[in-house]
Amino acid sequence: MPKMKKIATYAVSAVLAFSALCTSAFADQPYDGYNYDWWGDPVPSQAGYVVDRVITGLEFGTGTRYNTDTQLEEISAQEGEEIPKTQEVSALSEPSDLFIDEETKDLYVVDTKNDRILVTDVNFEKPTVIMDYFYNPETKEYETLNNPHGIFVRHVDDAENENESKMIYIADYDNNRVLGVYADGTVFQIFTKPPAEFYDEETTFQPNKVVVDVAGNVYVNILSTTQGAVMFAPDGSFSSYFGANRVEQTAQALANKFWKTILDREAAASFIQAVPMEFSNFDIDDEGFIYTVTESKSATTDVFKKMNPAGENVLINLGYSDYIYGDMASYYYLGVTYGSQINDVDVDENGTIRLLDYANGRIFEYTNECDLLFIYGGKGNQKGLFGDKVTAIESYGDVVYVCDSLKASITTFKRTEFGDIVHEAMALYSEGKYEEAREPWNEVLTRDSNYWFAYIGLGQAELSMGNYEQAMDYFYRNSRGGYNRAFKQYRMQFIRDNFNIFIVIILVAIIALIVLGKVRKHFKKKRKAGGKG
Amino acid sequence: MRFDLDLPAWKWPFYVARHPFEGFEDLRWKKAYNTKVAMVIVLCFFIITVCQQVMTGFLFNTSYVKVFNIVPLLVQTVILFFTWVIGNWSLCTLFNGEGSMKAICSVSAYALVPYLITQIVVIIASNVLLRSEAAFIMFFQYLGILWSTVLMISGIKTVHQYTVPKTLIAMLFTVAAMVVILFLLVLLLSLFQQVYVFGFSIYTELMYRFSI
Repeated sequence: MPKMKKIATYAVSAVLAFSALCTSAFADQPYDGYNYDWWGDPVPSQAGYVVDRVITGLEFGTGTRYNTDTQLEEISAQEGEEIPKTQEVSALSEPSDLFIDEETKDLYVVDTKNDRILVTDVNFEKPTVIMDYFYNPETKEYETLNNPHGIFVRHVDDAENENESKMIYIADYDNNRVLGVYADGTVFQIFTKPPAEFYDEETTFQPNKVVVDVAGNVYVNILSTTQGAVMFAPDGSFSSYFGANRVEQTAQALANKFWKTILDREAAASFIQAVPMEFSNFDIDDEGFIYTVTESKSATTDVFKKMNPAGENVLINLGYSDYIYGDMASYYYLGVTYGSQINDVDVDENGTIRLLDYANGRIFEYTNECDLLFIYGGKGNQKGLFGDKVTAIESYGDVVYVCDSLKASITTFKRTEFGDIVHEAMALYSEGKYEEAREPWNEVLTRDSNYWFAYIGLGQAELSMGNYEQAMDYFYRNSRGGYNRAFKQYRMQFIRDNFNIFIVIILVAIIALIVLGKVRKHFKKKRKAGGKG
Repeated sequence: MRFDLDLPAWKWPFYVARHPFEGFEDLRWKKAYNTKVAMVIVLCFFIITVCQQVMTGFLFNTSYVKVFNIVPLLVQTVILFFTWVIGNWSLCTLFNGEGSMKAICSVSAYALVPYLITQIVVIIASNVLLRSEAAFIMFFQYLGILWSTVLMISGIKTVHQYTVPKTLIAMLFTVAAMVVILFLLVLLLSLFQQVYVFGFSIYTELMYRFSI
């Protein structure tokens, strides 16, 4: 009987242990984290971010219009119906852009199909402000939005009053304009289609996204033109096009080029002109670099660019033009090709780059030098997964906000402990503090031995400490460049340490050769003599 | 030509490598073709190709070492060699070539020797050189290929008693013949496989019938 009891105890404890394992598995994020190794193969990895909240707009409760009471009376008169001061925010409808104002911690949501802008804070705690009527002092009328697609908020330090220090730019898609308004909703500038000598009259002017640089130049992204962003001077006049993509070098383009050199001008003109892809979204960082992404299933040219104010891609100069952004390989399944289509970019104050993949609903996080950190998110019906149309990504601190147009929600991701450690290590690494980064990198490897970059970090640390052999071990099959540097030092050290032995070996070899030659000659002579005799 | 030359079979490949033009004449005169030596060289060819995959230094190794599959290497070396020999023989017997199968086989194998030697040097060098010194490796690589090509042309020319242009044309056509041989081989394989599947399905069908 005691034996039975013992067996029962074992069985129960085994079941308990197993169920404990199971529950830890259930508390997982709804997607599988993965990363790429040196070979470009996907490997399972720890999640760097997990889903935190999903906001659908219903959580906002009652929102308040920012307009004053007198304004509201005038608006009501203009509209012919009562426009209330407060209103139920209710569900979002196809939200298409997010903007986080780093200074005031405000989160702007472009609620596209409801034709309004919602302002809350990064924790969704502040009472929501609704912006949908904007006072235009020139016409003395109130402007409304029609299918707004993008927003940008800019702070000016030398403004006359506090109201004018905050300038909001709204890409008003179906009204063919970009609306520039102050914090109180007074329109100060309307950017419309440039005159015909600069802008093709046939082409529509429907602003998709808008960014503004420190100098107040407004860059408008328009999907119907391939010449780049339309750039306006602060006074609203057209100044130039900015940062067009290059033409994808396809076989077709090359063939056209060949025929054009042979045929006469008229015949050549009948060819389809190879045009670059238009970029679909952009972001600007504090230093004025503009980051663009091009949403394309097949094109690999200029999928992601970091441009200086002159419109040059600086990542190419660093030698990253061959980088593949998003998933390394597209795959073909049941008649559909699945490849990454990057449609939004977010760059935070540390330079971390996050690319949003429209095709798979994934977020690819890179360092400022385009080294892949994490891949997270995915498509599906579960909470935390996205529908077929993700539209915008923003970040504040270590929280990432993703806007899903189809599910009409905003999903927030928070960084895991693993993510924190990787970011800590990466921050030290990019500052050149390789030795300090050793501890976090080791911690990263304990948690996820597949994490490729940790090996490079550790190799770099060993290299800077002079342990060339260990550095070689870390770099082996992880980084050719690193291995080359470590091996160079190692080889030099090896030769220096064993210089005497080398000299001895060389001397012995030379002597041996001379002696051997003499001996052979001697024997040959002897044989010849023997043959004669 | 040295009529007094009397070398053991294993020394011939090296002699030929050192005398690219008259070496083959000597070989032909002496009828020193040796299939055993040729087979050893082909085996070395295979082994060195495998070594090149797994032992080339990390800085110069471009092979995908995560999965090591020996079959493609076998095809690239041994099967390729024999297709070359068969292709060349079947073509050149039709075009007044004098070479026997044995002669073509030995000569082609002997011609590989410089390539194999430089390949060994390259494998060793790739483990001690840096990326900036890759020129040395490239030099040896090209040297080996060039030398072997010259030997191959000279050897085929000698065994068939061709002129140089005719040799080159014959070699070009040999490559075409190889493609045809390999294509037919693959076709044959897939046909046999289908016949096998057909037979097997009849067998299973019958087994189901009789088991019930």
